[in-house]
Amino acid sequence: MEQRLRNEAKALLEQGKVDWIIGFESGSLKFATTPLITKDKNDADRLVINPFMVNNLANFLTEVKGRVGIVAKGCDSRSIVSLMQDNKVAREDVVILGVPCRGIIDLSKVERLVGKERDELDDITREGDKVAIKVDGEKKEFLATEALFDNCLACEFPTPQEYDILLGEPSTSVVNKPAAQEKIEKLKEMTPEQRWEFWKNEFSRCIRCYACRNVCPACFCQRCFVEETEPQWVLPVPRWQDNLIFQIVRNIHVAGRCTDCGECERVCPVNIPLRSLTKEMYDLVDELFHYKAGMDKEAAPLLIAYEYAEAEDLFR
Amino acid sequence: MSSKKKINKKDIGKLLSRWSQQFTVLAPSMESGVATMAEWDGKDTSFLDWYRNTVIPPKANFFPPMEEMFSFQKDREGYHIELPLVNEHKQLIFGIRPCDAKALAILDMTFEEAYEDPYYLAKRNSAVLVGLGCTNPYDSCFCTSLGISPAESTDVDLMLTDIGDQFLIEEVTDKGKELIAKTSGLKEATETDEARAKEAKETSHNKVTRKINTEGIEDKLLACFDDEDYWEKIAAKCISCGICTFLCPTCYCFDINDELVKQQGARFRSWDSCAFPLYTKMPMENPRLEKWRRVRQRVCHKFEFYPMTFNVIACTGCGRCIRLCPVNWDITRVLESLPVKV
Repeated sequence: MEQRLRNEAKALLEQGKVDWIIGFESGSLKFATTPLITKDKNDADRLVINPFMVNNLANFLTEVKGRVGIVAKGCDSRSIVSLMQDNKVAREDVVILGVPCRGIIDLSKVERLVGKERDELDDITREGDKVAIKVDGEKKEFLATEALFDNCLACEFPTPQEYDILLGEPSTSVVNKPAAQEKIEKLKEMTPEQRWEFWKNEFSRCIRCYACRNVCPACFCQRCFVEETEPQWVLPVPRWQDNLIFQIVRNIHVAGRCTDCGECERVCPVNIPLRSLTKEMYDLVDELFHYKAGMDKEAAPLLIAYEYAEAEDLFR
Repeated sequence: MSSKKKINKKDIGKLLSRWSQQFTVLAPSMESGVATMAEWDGKDTSFLDWYRNTVIPPKANFFPPMEEMFSFQKDREGYHIELPLVNEHKQLIFGIRPCDAKALAILDMTFEEAYEDPYYLAKRNSAVLVGLGCTNPYDSCFCTSLGISPAESTDVDLMLTDIGDQFLIEEVTDKGKELIAKTSGLKEATETDEARAKEAKETSHNKVTRKINTEGIEDKLLACFDDEDYWEKIAAKCISCGICTFLCPTCYCFDINDELVKQQGARFRSWDSCAFPLYTKMPMENPRLEKWRRVRQRVCHKFEFYPMTFNVIACTGCGRCIRLCPVNWDITRVLESLPVKV
């Protein structure tokens, strides 16, 4: 699959079908990948496909000018389609190099499983429904469902929904919905007061680095509401109240665009479980509007379309 | 006469309790959900097992993510300003790493030499730093390229080195010497202990494998300053978030905001970042609207401008900006790939 990707990417650049290739290359840390954004066909040989491709590359689509060949997992492809629905990118300007995804390995979970940090591990490999971790020369096997990101365990569409080239056979994901929902269910069991305390506590350590917002392809406002000064909706000061408002409004703004790629939660340097908010919104959107983001490039974006029949469901 | 002491690791709790009577003791903690230097709870020393470095750098204990500069009230006569209460408790930071201690010395140049920042200095001047040498640096660490060794420091008051079941304690400053003189229950270190510490320091030093070449770095950066293609290329994957700057132990930029609700309010300062487009937004233009200009600014500020002003590189190789970056943007790779040879 990797070699085919390199060949396809090189051909696309050589034939002038795209100006840019956006994919993944090996990162500078163990098990890390890093986005590769290039015009140079020689760089195509650095492209990789592996279970550590965390980023949602759709985030970079609007940053480059010209036609783009972009590597996309299932969730990423939906983010790309969502951007098309919002007229942020044109279908004809994008060549989607679809990667049937088998789930991305959550290094934080791996660290907890073996009690060592990522740079202390010798190797991590995906073998069928298992993940093998080599540490101190010893190989330990775990179920893949123990080591994949929560959002991967809830993934409904691991194979890209929209693509030009599919780089492998359609994949089925190793789902474990109860595990994926665990954190969210715990929150639902709380009383509203407990939940309020929980989020107050979580947002008390937010430093407002905006990594959650900036890594999100659905957050494409030219000017985010938190940066407005007239009126000033919230202060840039990281008080928990302002932090919470920022995140709640962000969550509402990405409703109908969020594809549950999980990037906001992954990048948070202070471990705020942001997906517990976004996934709940994702499910609400599905329940109230029978809508899943980025499934149909012709469909109107959720919150700019209105159907009379919706009223019955929505207002209750 | 050697004044080196030692303490059994299992007695660290007792030591911190003793110090707690005189100081607000801060130690590595995961209590808040992220590794930070937080007020010690009076018993837990399990950080000795898990602690490699904190995610939130100890600069936050002197220059917090947000602080109230003053509060004000408005009435018919105008504004009345009230300064915040100064916390009388002196901070003792236990376990600070040499990279982060050096970072505070670098911050002092801005907050003490360039101008006197009362908020920072009030906390800084009264604080005691007890360093703890690294035994297990991250693969993202590159302190040895910046004249720092993971288990040696002259920027702390006391330095602890892991020598097995014990820590060797070295007095680095007069403040440290005074503290030791007042601290009972420490044993005299033997020559064997000192030899062990020396070996431990060398071992740690050699564990840092990531390197940068700082020779002529200012000139190299100056020479490629206008190479727009280069900066655009290396900036392409940056998402312009604040992680690398906020969590950098030497970054000190802040924003100031007032909040007035009804007749009263406060002025806050909070961390700001040159990675944000808004950072340089002015009424008519934004000189760093393009991402590559902001990325260039961060690199050049640390490795060119700060050395020009203060004769020191504003980077201590702590590796946080590499470890925590959402896209694995790596400063060491960038410095290695500068398109010039000087």
